[in-house]
Amino acid sequence: MHEAFFFGPRSRQLFASYHPPAKDDRRLLTVICPPLFAEYNRTHHALRKVAISLAESGRHVLRFDYRGTEDSFGNLEDATVTGWIEDIALAIQEGREVSGCSAVRILGVRAGALLACRSVGTASEIQRLVLWDPVSDGAGYLQALRRIQEAIVEQNIYLRRADRLQAMHEYEYGGGYRLSDRMVNELRALDSSAYSNIPSSKLHVVSTSSPSAFSVAGVSEEVSQCACNWETHEEDLIMPQPLLERLVACLITS
Amino acid sequence: MSDHILTEEPLQFGENGRMFGILTQLGVPPPNAQDLPVFVFLNSGLLHRVGPRRLYVRFARTLAEIGFTSLRVDLAGKGDSFPSPHLTTEQSLREDFRNIVSVLEARLGHVRLVVGGLCSGADDAIRLAPSDSRVVGMVLLDAVCDRDSGFRAREIVRKYTHLARYRRWLKKHIKALGNSGGETEQAIDKFALRDFPARQQLREAFQSIQGRQGRVLSVFTSYSEEYYNQAGQMGRVLELDGYRQFCTELYWPEASHTYSFELHRSQLIEEVKTWAAGYIACN
Repeated sequence: MHEAFFFGPRSRQLFASYHPPAKDDRRLLTVICPPLFAEYNRTHHALRKVAISLAESGRHVLRFDYRGTEDSFGNLEDATVTGWIEDIALAIQEGREVSGCSAVRILGVRAGALLACRSVGTASEIQRLVLWDPVSDGAGYLQALRRIQEAIVEQNIYLRRADRLQAMHEYEYGGGYRLSDRMVNELRALDSSAYSNIPSSKLHVVSTSSPSAFSVAGVSEEVSQCACNWETHEEDLIMPQPLLERLVACLITS
Repeated sequence: MSDHILTEEPLQFGENGRMFGILTQLGVPPPNAQDLPVFVFLNSGLLHRVGPRRLYVRFARTLAEIGFTSLRVDLAGKGDSFPSPHLTTEQSLREDFRNIVSVLEARLGHVRLVVGGLCSGADDAIRLAPSDSRVVGMVLLDAVCDRDSGFRAREIVRKYTHLARYRRWLKKHIKALGNSGGETEQAIDKFALRDFPARQQLREAFQSIQGRQGRVLSVFTSYSEEYYNQAGQMGRVLELDGYRQFCTELYWPEASHTYSFELHRSQLIEEVKTWAAGYIACN
């Protein structure tokens, strides 16, 4: 079972699901930093399964939604990268308070991996960061979103010319998510130094054989032979069971 | 969650709290709150309760601003709800709906309901409406509809007069030429996993809403073009006296099934809000 609640400042509350350990409390909290936009919906089921598996092996787990996304408060147009980085810190703090754990592990997925690394930096309470198909940097990620947007526009033969132009506006990204100028600029400024600033002994990358897979220099990496097509306008769910098992194994290993 | 205007409350309910949903209400309920129906948004396919690109969240919060309460819910086995073992899909849906009604009545007293959703959410609303007299409205996004007598002619005209189709065809073949011996695009049957309600079920659903002096909003997008291609087709197929008095039927071929573009999402949210305001006018 899980316990769902809203937390954080009254003006920008975040939605969270807390999974307490089902047995043998190991006094260890895992915070899941989900991916963004369409990738969130595509991985929701998979990340819930990971959370349940971790709870069954005695871990506390907190899943949460960034501000302006999913069930959290606010509009995407008002969200910023700075805000999302703060949200990760807030979620870690909330998870520690709810669970009573001091030791924390992070699972970051795609852009969530980049944000998580930027957020936690060298914080000592973070024991390990497991990154699932991390994006290399914000600029590359925006380009990928842009290509998805172009594919969606291309596919829609009934779109009027004016609407087509609007849909290809500079701040319409992957699947029609409209981002603010500030968000786009902040994403562009997010580079791979977010990874290199973390001690490599704390990082563990689990990659799929997807074409967009990115390796973090000097960090141990496992390649799971599952194909996850991230750069697509299709909206099918991503549930690669062997990969999910690897993620869980990486998160529970001492 | 709460702000100056609305409150949101996560609810776990049903046997052992296996079901999950989020109740959205105005912070201070309006004086006519008891007279207004409660909206229940049902999962679209396997997507969890937020809907495609957060559509259900935005419906809920927009409707709350004008006084409507809503529940966006994960049906058994979807989102954060656990499956209901040993039940067929149909039994599970009905059991879930009993649980939804129970939790809403426990919270709000006697309720009237508007059920709706996109794709399978619309299919489920159609299945649920006839058997529960509390259902006084449906919001059907890309619901099922039979072809009418003019469908084929309209399809031919559309097929051969739409320049963009030729452009796409040409691009596809040029791409294929450059890809000789390589992969070929697999045609995907988008309806393969969908269990459409039968025509009789659809008719019963509309008749039941009409009998309760309720209302129906149907919106069709380009997704439906293999079976629906003109506004008014649903009315012609159903042949119900007084259809136009209780039904609003819209055809938006430029919108995609999951409302990929913000401009179409905003348009739909506004449409739902305007349609819902009709319940306020009735009271």
